[in-house]
Order: sequence, then C-alpha cells, then structure tokens
Amino acid sequence: MIANILTLLVFLPLAGALLIFTIPNENKNVIRSIATATSLVALLISLIVWANFDRGASGLQFAQLVQWIDIGFLQLNYEIGIDGLSMPLLVLTTVVTALAIFASFSIENRVKEFYIWTMVLLTGMLGVFVALDMFLFFLFFELTLIPMFFIIGIWGGKEKVYASFKFLVYTGLGSAVMFITFIVMFFKGAQASGEATFSMIQLAEVFANPANPEVLTSGVRAALFLALFVAFAVKLPVFPFHTWLPNAHVEAPTAASMILAGVLLKMGGYGLIRIGVGIFPDQATRFALLIAILGVVNIIYGALLALVQTDLKRLVAFSSISHMGIVLVGIASFTASGMQGAIFQLVSHGFISALLFFMVGAIYERTKTRTISELGGLSKSVPVLAGFTLAAAMASVGLPGLSGFVSELLAFIGVFGASAEILPAAKTIGVIAGIGIILTAAYLLWAMQRTTFGPMDEKYSGLPDARPLEYIPMIGLLGFSILIGVYPNILSDVINITVLDILSKIGG
Amino acid sequence: MLSAFDANWSLMTPEIVLLCLALLIFTIDFMTGIKGSKPFLGRLSIISLLITAILVVLTNNVSGNIAQVFIVDKFAMIFKLIILVGVAFVITISMHYLEKNSDVYQGEFYSLLLFATLGAMIMVSSADLITLFVGLELLSISSYCLAGFKKRNKKSTEAAIKYVILGGVASAFILYGMSFLYGLTGTTGILEIGRDLGALYDQYPFIIMMSLLFMLVGFGFKISIVPFHMWAPDVYEGSPTPVTAFLSVVSKLAAFGLVLRMFIIAFGSIFDEWSFLLAIFAALTMIIGNFIALTQKNVKRLMAYSGIAQAGYLVVPLATTLTPDITMSIIAFYGIAYVMMTLGAFAVITLVTESAGKEDISSFNGLYYRSPFMAIAMTVFLVSLAGLPITAGFFGKVYIFIGAVTGGMIWLAVIMIATSIVSFFYYFGIIKQMYMNEPNENDEVLNPPLSLSVMVTVAVTVTLFLGFFPGLVTKYFNSFHWFF
Repeated sequence: MIANILTLLVFLPLAGALLIFTIPNENKNVIRSIATATSLVALLISLIVWANFDRGASGLQFAQLVQWIDIGFLQLNYEIGIDGLSMPLLVLTTVVTALAIFASFSIENRVKEFYIWTMVLLTGMLGVFVALDMFLFFLFFELTLIPMFFIIGIWGGKEKVYASFKFLVYTGLGSAVMFITFIVMFFKGAQASGEATFSMIQLAEVFANPANPEVLTSGVRAALFLALFVAFAVKLPVFPFHTWLPNAHVEAPTAASMILAGVLLKMGGYGLIRIGVGIFPDQATRFALLIAILGVVNIIYGALLALVQTDLKRLVAFSSISHMGIVLVGIASFTASGMQGAIFQLVSHGFISALLFFMVGAIYERTKTRTISELGGLSKSVPVLAGFTLAAAMASVGLPGLSGFVSELLAFIGVFGASAEILPAAKTIGVIAGIGIILTAAYLLWAMQRTTFGPMDEKYSGLPDARPLEYIPMIGLLGFSILIGVYPNILSDVINITVLDILSKIGG
Repeated sequence: MLSAFDANWSLMTPEIVLLCLALLIFTIDFMTGIKGSKPFLGRLSIISLLITAILVVLTNNVSGNIAQVFIVDKFAMIFKLIILVGVAFVITISMHYLEKNSDVYQGEFYSLLLFATLGAMIMVSSADLITLFVGLELLSISSYCLAGFKKRNKKSTEAAIKYVILGGVASAFILYGMSFLYGLTGTTGILEIGRDLGALYDQYPFIIMMSLLFMLVGFGFKISIVPFHMWAPDVYEGSPTPVTAFLSVVSKLAAFGLVLRMFIIAFGSIFDEWSFLLAIFAALTMIIGNFIALTQKNVKRLMAYSGIAQAGYLVVPLATTLTPDITMSIIAFYGIAYVMMTLGAFAVITLVTESAGKEDISSFNGLYYRSPFMAIAMTVFLVSLAGLPITAGFFGKVYIFIGAVTGGMIWLAVIMIATSIVSFFYYFGIIKQMYMNEPNENDEVLNPPLSLSVMVTVAVTVTLFLGFFPGLVTKYFNSFHWFF
C-alpha cells in the first residue's frame, strides 16, 4: 500500500470526479459531501506520506516507475516520487484544496460541474508535484489548465470570460515554451548520452556531466535554462509575464482564487527549482543576478501596484506577485537558507494567500463590495472576520511568530550571505528587496486600517459574522501559518537534506 | 509482362464488392421511388461499408499488385480503413441530417457517397497515374454533386458551381503535371517513375520541377493547403453539413494519401528539392488557417479553416527528413485522430445547427443545458483539435513535433506549437458558448437519435483512448513496412 501511495493520492480525486459524475445534478449536498470526503481522504493520505517520509534520507522516496507509452523512438514512463521539495507542496495542495472546498459551499449553480473540475484540478496539481518524468510533468501541468479555465469562466465575476481566456492563453503559451524546451532537452540529452529519456533524474546526470561537450555547449544549456525560466515565470508569475494574474484572481470565485494563489502559482516556483535549478545548476548560478533582479522587480512592482489598488481582491492579487519575488530572490542567493526561504515562502504564501482570498470572499459575500473605500469599521460589524483578516494581513506582512516571517527571514539571510561570485551586489539586492517588504507592510496595513477600522458604515451594522463552517478554513489556514511560524523545524526538517542536495551540485 | 487477365484480381475484392453494393443501393432506390425518407438505405450503406472494411482487414497479410497499376500494401490498407470508418460516420450523420431536410433525394445521396468512397479507395491503392486520376475524378465528381445536393438552396448551388470549376482547374493542373512525367519516363507507372526519376533529374531538372509544381498546385487544392485553400470555406459553408464533413475528412485524407504516394514513391529520390517548398506551404497553411479561423462566426467556415490548419500539421512530417515508414506512422496516427475528432465535432455541429436552423456559432449557446452529453463530447473533440492532453490530437501533435525535431525542422515544429496556441481562441470560443452562455430563447432540449449518440460515443472513446494509450496503435504501425 505504501509503495503505491502516491499513485493512490494523485488519482483518488479523479475517482471522486467520476463518482460525482454519476450523481444527479439536484443532489447538491451529496455532491458536496463526496467532494469534501475525497479531498479530506486526499489530505489524510498526504499526511500519512508526511508521517512516513524519511527526513534523514537524501534522494527520492515512494518512487515508482512503470513504462507507459512506447512509440518506437519515444518511451514515456510513469515515473513518480517525492523528496523534501515536493513533500511540503503536496501537503499544501491537499490542505488548501480541502479548505477551499469548505469555502465553496456557497456556490449554488452548477454544483456538480464545479466539483468535478475541482477534483480534476486536484489530480493535476498533485501530479505536477510527484512527476519525475518531464513528459508526465507536462501532462499534469496541462491538466490544471482546462479545469481552471472552466472554473473562472463559469463561476467567476463580471469579466470572467475575458479573464478565463487570458489565463488560458498566457499559461498556454508558457506551456508551449515549456513543451518545446522539454523536447529539445530530450533530444540533446539523447545526443549526449545515447539514451533517450524524459526522466528528470537521468537528464540531470546527463546535463551535469556533458559527455559530449559539443552537443551540450554552455550556450545551448543557457538557452534551455532561460527558456525553462520563461515557461515557469508565466505561472509564478514573474514580471513581465504576470498580467494574467490580476484578472484571473479577481474574477475567479473565492475557492478558485484560493487554489490559484495557494497552489497553482507554486507549480511555477517548484518547476523552476526542480527542473531549472535541478538540471541546470551551473546555468542557474550563472543567471543568479538576473533572477535576483527580476525577483526584486517583482517585489517592488507588485507592492507599488498593490499600494494603489482600490479593490481589495486586486490588492491581494498584486501582493501575490510581490511575494513570489521573494521566492526568486531566495533561489538566486544559492545558499542553504536562501533556498529554504524560497521553499518556505512557497508553502507559507500558499496558506496565507489562500486565507486572504478567503477573507476577501467572505467580506464580499456580506457587504457586496470589494472597494476598499466603501468598506470600513468591519471590526465592529463583523469582529471575527475582521480579526482573521487582520491576522492574515499580519502573516503576509511577516509578523514574527507567523510563517511569513520565517520565510522572509531565511530568504534575506540567504541573500546577505550569498557568495559574491554567484550573486554580485547581493547586499544591494537585499536592501532593495527589504524596502519592498516595508512597502508590503504599508499597503496591507493601510488597507486594513481603511477596511477593518475607522467608523462603521451604518449599512453594515446588521451583517452576520462568521458562520461555523467558515471557521474551518480560517482556523485551518491560519493554524498552519502559526505552526510554521512558531515551529519552523516541522518544515525545515523535511526540506533540509533536499536543499543541501541541490546546493551540492552548485558547489562542484 | 503479365497480361491483365493473369493478374491477381482478388486484390481488388473490397473495391469490387463495394461497387456492387453501391449499385445495389442505387437500384433499390429506383425501385422504391426516388422521393421520401429512406433510412434503411442509410443502414444498408453502413453495412456495405462494414463488409468492405472487413474485406480490407482480411487482406491484412496480402500485399501485391495488379499489373503495377493497382497496389495493395499496408499504406493502402490503413488509409482504406480510415476512409471506410470515416464514411460510415458521415452516413450516420447524414441519416440524421436527411430526416431534417426532406428536399434531398436520399437514395442518390447514399449511393453517391459510396461511389465517392470507392474513388477514394482506388486513389490510395493506385500505382499508376491513370488509375490514380480515375480514382480522383470518381471522388471529385461525386463530391461536386454532393456539394450541390440542396438544389433549391442558393448557397449549396453556389458551392457546387465553385467546386466544379475550381476542382476542374485543379484536376487539369494535375494532369498537365503528369504529362511531363510521362513524356520524360515513357511510363505512367508510379513505381517505375520513382526508379528513374533520380537519374533523369540531373538531365531535366526544370521539367521535373515544373511537373512537381503543377501537381503540387492540383493536390494542394484537393487537400486545401494555403495558398490553394480559397474554395474550402465557401464550399464547406454551402454544402449540406454531412457533405462538409465528408469533404473535410474523407476527401481530404484520400487526397492526402495520393500526395504521399506521389511524393514519397515517385518524387522520393529528389526529396531535397521539394521538402523545403512543402515546409513553407505547411508553415503558411498553419499560420493562415489558424489566424483566419479566429474571425469566423459561421461554424462550418470555422471548421473549414480549422481543417486547413490541420492539413498544415499533416504536411509537416512529409516535409521532414524521416524514413518513409516513420513518416507514415506519424501521418496515419494523426489521420485516425483527425477522423475521430473532426467527424465527432461535425456530428455535434449537425445536430446543433439543424436544431437551431442557423450555422452561427451562437447556435452553440448553452449547449451544456440542452444536451450535456453532446456538450461534453464536443469539448473532448475541440480539446483534441486544439492539441491539449490527454487526447488523440495531443499525441498526434507530439508525434509530429518529435518527428519534425528529429528531422531537423525545429522551426516548423515551433510554428506548429505557436499556431496551436492561436487555435485555443476559436476552439475554446465554442466551448465558451456551450458552457458560459445561456441557451437562446427558442432553443429546445436536444434529443439526438440513438445512432448519432452511438457514433459520438465511439469517437469520444477512441479520441480519449488514443490519448491515454497511443502506444498500442503506434507499436503496431511501427512494425509496418508501409509501401509495397
């Protein structure tokens, strides 16, 4: 059972989707229960994996390899497994999705389709984090595209169709670049080693020891790395490939925004570390400065735009862009703590942004507005919601004791400790990034001041406060953030060895 | 040399049987009065096609030729099967269409479709310029009639006239090109031409290139690649929808078979001279087909441009340096995917446009509410046409892509991927109509007939199955020695 547990985890939601498919439309509560149960079982399985994960071992665990497709010159394998990088993201995915499903019970129209798509989406996301074959990775990556297109396009806000198409085309373009790069890597790898494979592990070895330097010149490898960077930059997103994000996040229904910000963006960061840095460590360090600068631009640009937003949900969306910059800066430092910071940030932002989007959704549901200037005094009308919103904002700002603090701290320690050979001007970058963090505090606190505090608008006086069901995602997400903030070892335990593995390739 | 009477005529059994059955249907039609609803003839046609398909499969292990004129090899077998299945689908669609359009003489319709099929089968089996041309004309002339089958409808008549005139010109180009070849080699046998051409090319490069170009113009018209595609949208729009389906799938693939036979066998020795030209045509076809499709509001015109783009994808492997066997594996796989997804889509299109009484893409509004099954099926077909996983269209494209990279045509492969992204817009445009728009006021719940539902189910199943397990088919294909 343990041997196939990852396969079980990945395809369980798909089975849930099929089960939902057989239920008639009218039985909304049955459908909701099945979706909830499936996501909870997935969560449970991911926790079992977490518990059985050997924290002291380097390399891959729970690995599985089955030959899948054989088209003559092309063999595709179903190769999966996890290490310290994917383990936390796997749990993040199941947690955020399960809680997003709790947040989606207010959806009343076309319930059946919604949960079918959510389940398919869950399979796609989990698959991305366990796939070790690049082709399989690509398939799962694409599998997340269509469900999200539908979820935004059907259950979204006013501009939903525009947002869904923008999402489809931007991420589609990113995928196309990724696909072309994968195929070229496949061919170059085959040319160099004589063995045609999509396996990330084998390709990492091939590219690390170019047996045939004429095939794998540093120019070729640089081009491949940059192409990969662009492909994942769309998803993360990195300036200037970010423009789909505000539309998609703002128009998506609350649950989808939570998944989008909580998990889908992380696929970009994960891909960058797993494939970009994992297979091209030398090129990654070569372009460290570029990555760091883009990271800083992301931080500052996202923060500045967040500062001028009048719509609370847009503000949160831009804060996501800003926070993803920290991931880039952390990676670019190529130090243990920087890399840990990046992974911490992926996980921590997953919980925090999901919580923020949930809060915005809950507030909108009651006040029917997201315009910051129209909100105010929420702490008096809906004290519990306002409290959690404030807590989420604090976590996002990086208040000590919450997960945001740990990840930012680690990333900054990494940047300031970066070797000058890899990352020149590390201190300057650190300082500028730090200014960005101050901006984060500025826009979030300012937004909180305008929404939760101040005089209460009369029309909001009779609003119902948090319902019991809403406590589940709020407490769950905030709880994880606090857990990581107070006891970061729970996470660093798992990722530590993997980070050292990644960095050991750079040292040589 | 063997006389025609000593030849192994049993090789032609499927064609002869199909001819007899088509004539039988023709006769039954006369005897039962030409007007009125005749679904039994449709069923009989499907049975005829199935019998023929079984006969084709039975010749699985046979390969041979009749006096170097008619050839049976793996290539012919697979293309015939694709064609027969395609026509069976088309007839299933027609049976629904003809119920809704009583002004069409049904018996003639079915028998003409079968004659066209016969032409297509002869085309892919021909090893001689004359046989090839006879097959082509049998297909073309039947198609001209079918295009104008709604004779009281102006657009249908316009389509038929356009098709006849332009098709005639294209045939003339092909014949003219052939005449050069005959003049140089003194034979009409494709195998012999292929043997001699390499040596002759050194002496007469200009004449051979002229011949090739003339044929390329004519064939380009038949498979609707840019810049010879102009007829397709008009003819597709005006023709009865099942005929549009026939033209865009069966007719196109049969002509494509012809192109393959000519270019790989006859012109194979001078590959370097024409491959780049074909690559340019493929690139143009993909770019123009996909971009113009963006602006289309009529769903049949949209499918016409989509079909043009798809033809571009199919040309890519031909323009790439691969062994003929690999080229054929790639093209045959995509061909099967193309039949399934395109005819599946046309089945849904027929159902929807006939119910709405118009062909605007707005007739797809809220299809999900009116027939969830058809909406989901259409989604699968469109996703496959767009080339997204996990569908037959996706693996077909991956296969083409990898083939192109192997053959060193990376730029062409990149154009293919880039234009596929463009195609997301219009394919997902239809998906948007189906799921995100409310149904139009007068639209009713659709009740597809059982036969159509079965056909769509088969198409969906194959599309998805080939997406998950492409290896099962390709393994089989890769073991083939395609050409005689």
